[in-house]
Amino acid sequence: MAFLTLEGIVKTYGTFRAIDGLNLEVRHGEFIALLGPSGCGKTTTLQSIAGFVQPTEGRIVLDGRDITHVRPEQRGLGIVFQSYALFPHMTVAQNISFGLEMRGVPTAERGKRVDEALDLVRLAGLGERYPKALSGGQRQRVAIARALAIRPNLLLLDEPMSNLDAKLREEMHIELRAIQRELGITTILVTHDQVEAMTMSDRIAVMQKGRIVQIDTPFEAYERPHSPFASAFLGKTNAFAGAVQLRNDRCCHVQVHDTLMHVPHEDRTLGNDVNVYIRPEKIRLVALGSGRFSGRVRLRVFLGNLWLMAVESRLGLVHMTLPNLGTPPPEEGSEVGLDWSDDDLRLLDREVAHGQV
Amino acid sequence: MHKNGFFSLLFHALFVTFIVAPLVVVMAMAFTSKGYLSLPTEGLSLRWFRALADNQEMLDAFALSIKLGLASATIAALLAIPAALAISRYDFPGRGAVTGFLLSPLMIPSVVLGIAFLRFFSLAQIGGSFWALTLTHVIVVLPYALRLTLASTIGLERDIEHAALSLGASRWTAFYRVVLPRIRTGVVGGWMLAFIQSFDELTMTVFVATPGTTTLPVAMYNQISQTIDPLITAVSTVLIVGTLLLMLILDRMVGLDRVLIGEGK
Ligand SMILES: Nc1ncnc2c1ncn2[C@@H]1O[C@H](COP(=O)(O)OP(=O)(O)OP(=O)(O)O)[C@@H](O)[C@H]1O
Ligand SMILES: [Mg+2]
Repeated sequence: MAFLTLEGIVKTYGTFRAIDGLNLEVRHGEFIALLGPSGCGKTTTLQSIAGFVQPTEGRIVLDGRDITHVRPEQRGLGIVFQSYALFPHMTVAQNISFGLEMRGVPTAERGKRVDEALDLVRLAGLGERYPKALSGGQRQRVAIARALAIRPNLLLLDEPMSNLDAKLREEMHIELRAIQRELGITTILVTHDQVEAMTMSDRIAVMQKGRIVQIDTPFEAYERPHSPFASAFLGKTNAFAGAVQLRNDRCCHVQVHDTLMHVPHEDRTLGNDVNVYIRPEKIRLVALGSGRFSGRVRLRVFLGNLWLMAVESRLGLVHMTLPNLGTPPPEEGSEVGLDWSDDDLRLLDREVAHGQV
Repeated sequence: MHKNGFFSLLFHALFVTFIVAPLVVVMAMAFTSKGYLSLPTEGLSLRWFRALADNQEMLDAFALSIKLGLASATIAALLAIPAALAISRYDFPGRGAVTGFLLSPLMIPSVVLGIAFLRFFSLAQIGGSFWALTLTHVIVVLPYALRLTLASTIGLERDIEHAALSLGASRWTAFYRVVLPRIRTGVVGGWMLAFIQSFDELTMTVFVATPGTTTLPVAMYNQISQTIDPLITAVSTVLIVGTLLLMLILDRMVGLDRVLIGEGK
């Protein structure tokens, strides 16, 4: 039984459909990431759940209660805004205490719960500061503490990390995830950062043009994208355009330029226009002549933990990454052999890809 | 700010001199012992201040102007808040027209307004009452209150109000506890400007003022059009000193630079 259900949500602005028939089921205690490019309707979806946007069509059910027309102040949700939206004229403690006061929590208990919330986000002792006197990361923690202090049954986060620098963001990913696990609070995160979605969520809902096009665990979504869009959005990938030449019940053979690639566990009609995909990290560098392909190294970039390479081959430019194991890979201009396992190839119809990437 | 060049200093000195000199001269003349306007060359006297204290008409006019300023500025500020919030928040049809209408007294000459009100009041037979006068002043000062309130509501983030709602605050509580403190400087600044405008307003008020509703500027105007005695300089001195004290107090309380220039912190 789903804890939160969005049923056929539509939101139109004039003739423009910002959300276009969105369905989502969230289980109790689950962490869901809404991932998609700018303008795909993530914020609008979150605001509909929060009650600040009234959907044109559809139903929102939270814990068995239809909240579609319930006012935001009566939904009892915790929301962390992208701008943090701290009350600048109140101290940190007053900010956190605000929601408790609105709920009529007695003063003595309020103080205790403010301290608890501050402990939770590791800001104990900063209660008397004003938001102005805090760093970006600290402000964000206050925003989280304030949202959690009212013990909401659902936590909504709209790009909460986008104002933090990369290192702090990574720390907050892990910390927020730990807090969420500890409290077991159902959480929906909006982001356009695939790393953020992957590190924190139980399931990723990939959004495109006001709809969810795929919802899966991070691993499944990355390994088996349902569409070229999802594939391109979740990390880098190599795409080779081709046509199905041969097929049997165990695999498809796809003609890419003058090469036949065979993709197992796929069934397509003969002659179909398709794309064959392979992730850069699934390609191996082998001795010249021993792999499936050979090519010339066009680009070699060192990223610390990884080497990023682009190899010119019969298939076109192939991007690959190699873990840094202590010895640099062949230099730019050298001839190398490339190999992969056929199980790592993915096949998607090109007509689905129409208009994409 | 720290490196004031020679010309900058010169400019400021000249500026201050030209602004302050007339005030100083007027204040000095108030202390004359003569019966005509002159500088007190032969001894100081408080004669004209005593005359002012005995002049019931002037005192009544002063009290009326204060009352009128307080009433019209407060009403204007109370109207300006919802108007400014609506204008800066919602893109409703006719928004430009409403904004233009509310700010329009700024563009209509006071003389025209004065004649219009005079005609209107005599037709409606409500001339001569305090509230009729207040109404005219509200209309004249509303644009000033609205201008400054708008300046503070236009940049206001919607998020903090949403945050308050999501934490369980009612709409009113969210407004009172979160929105109002954010736009306070604009509202206070608008109120002050409206008060000053009302207190200062002469051109329109001369048309609608009756013997029972004579404001201070109208009383002063009547005074100097009849006699030229130094009483008027005593009134001016009281006003200048009073304004100065008020400014100092307000500066202590809310910070004038923040109110008049904007959120500086
Ligand atoms: N009040 C509005 N009036 C008209 N169009 C709107 C309104 N609010 C949002 N939209 C449109 O709806 C679409 C979805 O907006 P939304 O803010 O949900 O995008 P998003 O996925 O959150 O994007 P981002 O990653 O940039 O925040 C956008 O194309 C936006 O222009
Ligand atoms: Mg958004």
